[in-house]
Amino acid sequence: MPIAEIAGAFASGFSDVFAPNTLGLMLVGIALGFAVGILPGLGGPTTLALMLPFIFTMQPVEAFAFLLGMAAVTATTGDITSILFGVPGEPTTASTIVDGHPMAKKGEAGRALGAALASSLVGAIFGAFALALAIPIVRPLVLTFGSPELFMLAVLGMTFVASLSGENLLKGLIAGGIGLLFATVGLDPMTATQRYTFDQLFLWDGIGLVPITIGFFAIPEIIDLAVQRSAIARASVEKLGGVMQGVKDTFRHFWLVVRCSALGAYVGIIPGMGGGVSQWLAYAHAVQSSPRQERFGKGAVEGVLGPGAANNSTLGGNLIPTIAFGVPGGVMTAILLGAFTIQGLVPGPSMLTPESQGGHLSLTFSFVWMIVISNLVTVAVCFVFLRQLAKVTMIRGSLLIPPILLLIYVGAFAEKNAFPDLLLVLLFGVLGWLMEKFHWPRPPLILGVVLGPLAENRLFLATDNYGLAWLGRPGVLILIALTLAGAFYPMLKRAMQRRENRSAGSQRAATKIKRPAFDRGMLFTLAIVVVVGAALWQSRNFGFRPGLFPWAVGIPLFVLAVAQLFVEVTRGVERPPKSPAEHGEEIPDSIVARRTAVMFGWIFGYLVAIWLLGFTIGGVLCTFLSLKVGSREPWPISLALTAAMGAFVYGVFELALHVPFPPGALFDWVGLTPS
Amino acid sequence: MRVRFLTLITAIVAATYLGSGAAQAQSFYAGKTLRIIVGLSPGGGFDTYARTIGRHLGKHIPGNPTVIVDNMPGAGSIIMTNHMYKVAKPDGLTMGHFNGALILGQVLGQAGIEFDARKFEYVGAAVSESVVCSLSKASGVTSIDQWKAAKTPVKMGGVAPGATPDNSARILHAALGLPVQVVSGYKGTSRIRLAVESGELAGACWSWQSMRVTWRKAIDSGDVKPIVQIVPKPFPDISKVPLAIDLATTEEAKQLIRYGVQNASAYARPFILPPGTPMDRVAVLRTAFQATLKDPDFLAEAKKARLIIDPVTGEEMEKIVADVFTMSPALQAKLKEALYTK
Repeated sequence: MPIAEIAGAFASGFSDVFAPNTLGLMLVGIALGFAVGILPGLGGPTTLALMLPFIFTMQPVEAFAFLLGMAAVTATTGDITSILFGVPGEPTTASTIVDGHPMAKKGEAGRALGAALASSLVGAIFGAFALALAIPIVRPLVLTFGSPELFMLAVLGMTFVASLSGENLLKGLIAGGIGLLFATVGLDPMTATQRYTFDQLFLWDGIGLVPITIGFFAIPEIIDLAVQRSAIARASVEKLGGVMQGVKDTFRHFWLVVRCSALGAYVGIIPGMGGGVSQWLAYAHAVQSSPRQERFGKGAVEGVLGPGAANNSTLGGNLIPTIAFGVPGGVMTAILLGAFTIQGLVPGPSMLTPESQGGHLSLTFSFVWMIVISNLVTVAVCFVFLRQLAKVTMIRGSLLIPPILLLIYVGAFAEKNAFPDLLLVLLFGVLGWLMEKFHWPRPPLILGVVLGPLAENRLFLATDNYGLAWLGRPGVLILIALTLAGAFYPMLKRAMQRRENRSAGSQRAATKIKRPAFDRGMLFTLAIVVVVGAALWQSRNFGFRPGLFPWAVGIPLFVLAVAQLFVEVTRGVERPPKSPAEHGEEIPDSIVARRTAVMFGWIFGYLVAIWLLGFTIGGVLCTFLSLKVGSREPWPISLALTAAMGAFVYGVFELALHVPFPPGALFDWVGLTPS
Repeated sequence: MRVRFLTLITAIVAATYLGSGAAQAQSFYAGKTLRIIVGLSPGGGFDTYARTIGRHLGKHIPGNPTVIVDNMPGAGSIIMTNHMYKVAKPDGLTMGHFNGALILGQVLGQAGIEFDARKFEYVGAAVSESVVCSLSKASGVTSIDQWKAAKTPVKMGGVAPGATPDNSARILHAALGLPVQVVSGYKGTSRIRLAVESGELAGACWSWQSMRVTWRKAIDSGDVKPIVQIVPKPFPDISKVPLAIDLATTEEAKQLIRYGVQNASAYARPFILPPGTPMDRVAVLRTAFQATLKDPDFLAEAKKARLIIDPVTGEEMEKIVADVFTMSPALQAKLKEALYTK
């Protein structure tokens, strides 16, 4: 293909986006994506699917401007919710919480938002141009990845657990193993044997990422907020104007941002890996490449920049196999594939052929511009409101908790319209809270959950297709080398650091406290040992193929968990010192315990009320009760906020989106269900 | 203008008079909301059909109810189908769309199924699913004879036990003795296509209606070739490709092909109502469904989206589903062995 022709298509792709109708529809899409990104649970894929029927009457360019405008900004605005509330706005922005939310607590919400937005923009532009550059070479790029290479990529991804483990590698490995074990819940991908489904159909497809991430990160934050009885920002908020500093951070760490963008785009190209994976790999990379790893998890700006860039560049990467083969890279592009069919476009070579030869190359190039322009618009709009957004962290927690709690449950339901997902939110909420309390790193667990299914699936496909010969494929050998390097490099680095620290005479800040009898943390470790043991016991009947993966994960996991218990019993529990800056004034343990119990009561109460009375009535009732009775807010505020939340849930989810909320169980029992 | 207005009035009056027979159903659906629940995820094939139909169905139902489409994904649509059987009200306002392969699953005792497919009211289907098996040129198998003579098992892509690509390839092995190794676990036919093009697999079987659209380029260029079709009558565009049923030499083999693949095509994508839905409402919805499938506006959209429309009526479906349950225990055992044994 002559270069001039490609350049011409590239330029006409640009001008096509600026046709009035196209631009107008793109702005509508951006507005929708903006809202969807901010709302937890209500994700980009669901909204895209709901919007598909509207594109029948549109031209292809208009349709994709509308849909891509929406898809491209969800990862950007999802970061905002993650940073401000510690609730993942999208499943792909969960990793932004780990350092973004602590920044908000330190009063640096503005800086964190600035950094997230600027890095998102860089990531989106990078991903879009990766798409443009990959178009000529996309076929060999994707076809060299057979099942063996895909399996090795998943293994390579798992070595990042080491970087995500923080201070304690053993605990990190155990958390990662637990994540892999959670990933085996459901029908196994080869023989459809049920594993850990407890005769519950809703577990057949495994545990969804939405209930896991929401429960895992948001519930502990809510409890913390309730215990502290303060606003989200604990420290002084003078740094509110730190937005520009966040932007500067992006350029100060520009190479990190670019590397993470590249990582996101690359992960996106690989079918089956999407933003869910790339954000964590980017976060791990940010940790790994930093000379001062101990700052992470406590509000290091690099921890926001990495995922911010990667989850945005993933979309561009995802589009590459979608356009070239009709093989969607991620969930969102799977639905975009539906848009191709509706528009009568067949993904494949014709998408890469110029219009003069009957292809759609300018359309393909217009995708690049749509991603770039919609992110430019979003980031510009965000910057206008950023100060106001950051002020949310100054609102007192008692006003924020009731609506957030309602949104968490509504969001968890709306993804699959499945009520049992609410129970999963609660379960993972408790687990996340316990892990935080007893200083277990949470990110490795999520990484295990997202990589587990891919690893198992591709391992069997590789072995079924090639026997053991796949181990000798050149791509596999390269990846094995990379994996070994990835696994040993952080350990080596850590050992060298330790030696340096020792020679400098500065002991690690963590203090070991010898407990005479036992610590509640040990009880948690013991519970892990028991649960993993029980899981292994259950897996004895799985049979060879469905059982292989649970065994390969479970047996070493059990050994590691026992080792951890042994360490705790014999050497005492390692405790990082409390940083006073983060927790404000010290609150006595008895009060902490009481407030935690009360908050758990509300979290559970919401669930019961929603189950008995339905989302609209039960949710509204709980919002009001927790405002008026729980937080003793004045009548006008309680009533106004309750009315606003009720109208919001009913208007958006019930009326506009037709989410089929189940009527309360109570109405069912007395036979009062409206027909 | 006035003339047209008068015509309209006359038409409305006439319609009201003529429609008085269906007055009951009409008054029933007026102002109501009909909900179509799809048992699979948003954005997939089942969902696209349901949403496209949902956009036009309302205007063909007397009383013009609002039609909305929801998803209740999970367990390959078992969750939704169980819900239709046990929970959904039989009031004619809830319609379900699920993977019809579960009907054969019920007969063969698939786990998790808590419904009796014979009790549902069938509204119809927009398309049947007729299977063709295609292999890549690179696999070295370009005709059925070469396949029969293959020294090593030919690797065919699969999704999961019970799915169309798996069932079809397994039936070819059981009924025709073709050397086949089903490599199962690919997430959908798009991943299978990629694996065939990269040389990991030799080929795969799934509905020709979808294959000829999504794999057009490779089939046109000859890189991928249809080798055998598991249908009662050959497709006109590949009329030279042999039929599996003609290659079967025993009556048992023919039965396996019929019950395992061929007959399943008619009930592959059913729209259903909960058991006990009043018959007048079933009749209204069946008529409206078929009228929708002939609606020029609907057909234009379907054409644009390359949705193949090949209607099956509710009455036909009811018969074929009842027939599945007449299989002899011996045939059931054979089929079970062919489909689920390693």
